[in-house]
Amino acid sequence: MDLSTTVAAILTLFIFSFLYRDNPFYKFAEHLLVGVSVGYFLVISIDNVLIPKLSEPLLKRQDWPVLVPLVAGALILTRLVPGWSNWSQVSLALVIGVGAGVAIPATLQAQILTQMKASMFSLEAPPGSSAALYLFERSVILLGLTSVLAYFFFSKEHKGWLGSYSKLGTYFLMIFFGATFGYTVMSRLSLLIGRVQFLLGDWIGLLN
Amino acid sequence: MNRQLIYILILAAITVPLFLPLGLKHRVTPEVERFYQTIDVLPAGSIVLVSFDFEASTVAETRPLAYAVLRHLFSNNVSVVSLSTLAEGTGLGYNFLSEITEELGKKYGEDYIFLGFRPQYQATILGLGEGFSKVFPKDYLGNELSSLPLAERVKNYDQINLIISIADGDLPQYWVDYAQTRYKKPVLAAVTAVMATSYYPYLASGQFSGLVGGLKGAAEYEVLLGKPGLGFKGMESQSLGHLMIIILIIIGNLTFLSQKKRI
Repeated sequence: MDLSTTVAAILTLFIFSFLYRDNPFYKFAEHLLVGVSVGYFLVISIDNVLIPKLSEPLLKRQDWPVLVPLVAGALILTRLVPGWSNWSQVSLALVIGVGAGVAIPATLQAQILTQMKASMFSLEAPPGSSAALYLFERSVILLGLTSVLAYFFFSKEHKGWLGSYSKLGTYFLMIFFGATFGYTVMSRLSLLIGRVQFLLGDWIGLLN
Repeated sequence: MNRQLIYILILAAITVPLFLPLGLKHRVTPEVERFYQTIDVLPAGSIVLVSFDFEASTVAETRPLAYAVLRHLFSNNVSVVSLSTLAEGTGLGYNFLSEITEELGKKYGEDYIFLGFRPQYQATILGLGEGFSKVFPKDYLGNELSSLPLAERVKNYDQINLIISIADGDLPQYWVDYAQTRYKKPVLAAVTAVMATSYYPYLASGQFSGLVGGLKGAAEYEVLLGKPGLGFKGMESQSLGHLMIIILIIIGNLTFLSQKKRI
């Protein structure tokens, strides 16, 4: 058992102490986590980003175009100076403009067009699969998709057939939320298992 | 019921199987099988891009996933170019890679490289399509990319056979949006259980070639590898933990109903 394992184990126990009630040990571990996370991010950013992408190209290779992102980045900091804060709008406009330009076509293609295409289906089952089961699966998908879309259609009051159909959409949504919540419970339990394995195995050495 | 008692019961339920294995069997689901087969058919010498898109808080799930996937890749003599799009995943990803490569006797620079971290994942993913050395002039260890034999074989996505995102958030979606849509590269996702439901539509549409979700997915993958590991051990605790939660929900509801009747 090395020192780092013991420190990690003690901090884990500090965090778990919150299950009893809020206490100074928990607060200490919580604040330490925030501080260490920020420090780690800063070190990684300097070591992995600022040095290889900024200081080395500028100082070693005199790669002058690097000054453009440097100035754009520096302009963001003008938000801290009230009289100069308008200058930060230039960088923000650049970020938003480029970001939207890059994201819109990619998102449209990957998340709307391809997903729409996937929801359209042939009446013929693919080779090797049961035709009845295939049609049932695809019908459920079609019904789920259209009824959930109907639920989020707000241009007409949800009465009559639209009301009934959007109500069906809520059932599909509930099933989705239930499945997601089940997976969330599973995920959180996995994290607890990981910590218990760490405490009993890596720290105390009771597990193989 | 006192909430502390509930915590103790759940703790007991997940601890017992760690000492007394239950011998549960795991059925491999089609999505995990597809993930496995996509890697298994790659010829030796292929190059796979593995992205460690997770943070330290989910390491209990991402470690078994990463170990299983990396073991499979290296056992099949597939070369791995790896990186991280999240700062916290950088150190963890490098550690996982080092542990598995040491176990399987793989050599840095020839069989695998770790590029490190870059912020702004959209720019990073798109930039790799232009040129790996443009985004990462040096690797995580400070080596010039041109000095590494594996990096010499990889100029951009053209030389990459497959992209794998091991993630605890929405990063696999960005790999689909930017690397697959534009560069037509197959993407596999190994994600935490909490993210799995969000990604099934991508699997159904064929945008993901396979999906492994959470500890359960890792356990299934270990079954396919024939090497029980962290996922397999964890799933026994998981199963008993779920059983305990179900029992507690039933007790809670019965208690609620009996009190309601009395009112």
